[in-house]
Amino acid sequence: MTENTPAIATADTYKRLGANPYRPWPARITSIQQLTPKEKLFELRIIDASVRDAFRHTAGQFVELSIFGVGEAPISISSAPSKQGFIELCIREAGTVTSAMHRMRAGDIVGLRGPFGRGFPFDEMRGHDILLVAGGLGIAPLKSLINHIHDERHEFGKVTILLGARSPKEILFRQEFDMWRHREDFDLQMTVDIPDDDWDGEVGLVTKLFDALEVDPENTYGAICGPPVMYRFVVAEMRKKDLDVDRIYVSFERRMKCGIGKCCHCGVGHKYACIDGPVFSYWEAMNLKEAM
Amino acid sequence: MFFKIIDKESIVDLYAGLAAEYDEVTGPKTSPKDPRYVKFGKIRDASQLRLDYKTSIVPPKKYFLAADERLMRYDRTTGEVYDTEPPLQTRALIGVHPCDINAILMLDDIFLNEFEDPYYKVYRENTFIVGVSCMPSPTCTCNSFGADEVHRGFDLFLSDLGDRWFVSVRSVKAAAIVDRYLDAREVTADDTRAFQERTKRFKKALPKRMDLDQLPLLYDAKYDYPLWEDIGKDCLSCGACSVVCPCCYCFDVRDTLSADGRVGKRHRVWDSCLASEFAEVAHNHNFRPKAADRVRYRFYHKFVGNFTRNGKMLCVGCGRCTTACKAFIDPQRIVKALESEDTPASAGTRKGGGAQ
Repeated sequence: MTENTPAIATADTYKRLGANPYRPWPARITSIQQLTPKEKLFELRIIDASVRDAFRHTAGQFVELSIFGVGEAPISISSAPSKQGFIELCIREAGTVTSAMHRMRAGDIVGLRGPFGRGFPFDEMRGHDILLVAGGLGIAPLKSLINHIHDERHEFGKVTILLGARSPKEILFRQEFDMWRHREDFDLQMTVDIPDDDWDGEVGLVTKLFDALEVDPENTYGAICGPPVMYRFVVAEMRKKDLDVDRIYVSFERRMKCGIGKCCHCGVGHKYACIDGPVFSYWEAMNLKEAM
Repeated sequence: MFFKIIDKESIVDLYAGLAAEYDEVTGPKTSPKDPRYVKFGKIRDASQLRLDYKTSIVPPKKYFLAADERLMRYDRTTGEVYDTEPPLQTRALIGVHPCDINAILMLDDIFLNEFEDPYYKVYRENTFIVGVSCMPSPTCTCNSFGADEVHRGFDLFLSDLGDRWFVSVRSVKAAAIVDRYLDAREVTADDTRAFQERTKRFKKALPKRMDLDQLPLLYDAKYDYPLWEDIGKDCLSCGACSVVCPCCYCFDVRDTLSADGRVGKRHRVWDSCLASEFAEVAHNHNFRPKAADRVRYRFYHKFVGNFTRNGKMLCVGCGRCTTACKAFIDPQRIVKALESEDTPASAGTRKGGGAQ
């Protein structure tokens, strides 16, 4: 059960607080930032101080976001674990819950449960080079990892971030990443499918960025998140660079409804994305039916 | 555990005792809609009990995992959440077959693990279970799944010895009931012999055991075989099998609002992984778009998924799905299909394997 540690940690927290794991904790929206026409970044603060203090997440974990009267949806946490007291969620307007969230204003109350699931193996990744690949909204869970690496930058070797988006307008956290392009401690590259007149970056699929990439396979961890169709192609590129199957991590999007391994909606092979994932090593993923 | 003997008629005393001690007594009774069927329902008089029933339509799991359970109420404007506990009501559940008790034990593994389900827990802790022996129906395959016998998970168990009951007393609560309400006598050598004979008769009436040792491995190995397309073509995705299955437990969570929109409630309702939108995520991406994908997943979860996690297959061979399925899909058909000489359409392909 060691591989479930973060999920178990949350179970222990719920037990310690004597809390019902289905009960959402009221949280206030403290700020909203429109990132793209379809995505907003919400900053939330759990109202109950004891719950807020007990809320500890790792990069790659998710919360169940409640809009009272509408329902719940699983959303990955974008903020770093170090940003205590506040939780950032990058949300695309897609289904009923996320659309309702987009109609919310700063100061409004929503509900949160979690953090749930198993995130990236941060401790294991320490001391290594990191290669992160995100497509579209896939940056949401990876942003937490990037922020965490940023917090402890000296603990890591070379850090490469490859971002793919459909168009320049759809690049999430673009302002921030535009500045990062000039940093020496991060190698950040962006590519879009459809450029506009101002675009000076790469054009094409994110896999294209691998051609010129130099990777030390003995010393690199890969992390991937993006639309379902992307995984296979990006994994193939990482394998071409000789990354081991158990050093490549993928984060899966599934329909986690309960977050605690009961409702079965997020079943992947014999595992549940909500307690065994959503982050899996590629080795685990390739041994799970219907995973990729 | 100790044993006692009571007369057949003493069931009236048992009922009276349980009715005095518990808020509600439920058990198998003739379905008011169709006298050919037996369903679990509220028992108001011992004469309603049909302890010689074959199989109930819906299993007694409904008393632990309700078809529609209110999880909480909330105030939409303040985010205040209340009524997060199920109504505390004690219940005696009489007449549960060994297969169904074994199924409850499997649900325990899932709902009482490190993430305890508070609703299930309250129902489980406040329910007194009386098991009852049975004789197999033609659809029963409990012995293939090791569910024909049960050694725990009940308070009291009644084995039918014709004119008397051989009573297994498993819990302190049960010992108190026996002590207070039943005119029970000690077991004699004759009673034990009669019990042995009954067990022998029962075992003899069971069908030939299926050999399931290879099943999980075989399932994994034949996951991409065309047999799933064949079965999927038949499946109506109606989910009737999930409703009647004592080991199926998946659910959907729904919110409903009051007319003025101020307060609302969240509840969970039984679901089925055969429902087309079960594994759908944003932007209508569906991880199991075809009926074949879903029926394959349902049995995979039962025979491989839970087996890998908990060491148990999520099936007790009760035969309810055999009766409920209009497309003749049941565990026996799955086992037979997997054992048949089937060949994959394109040998050696593996979905998603691109990078090995």
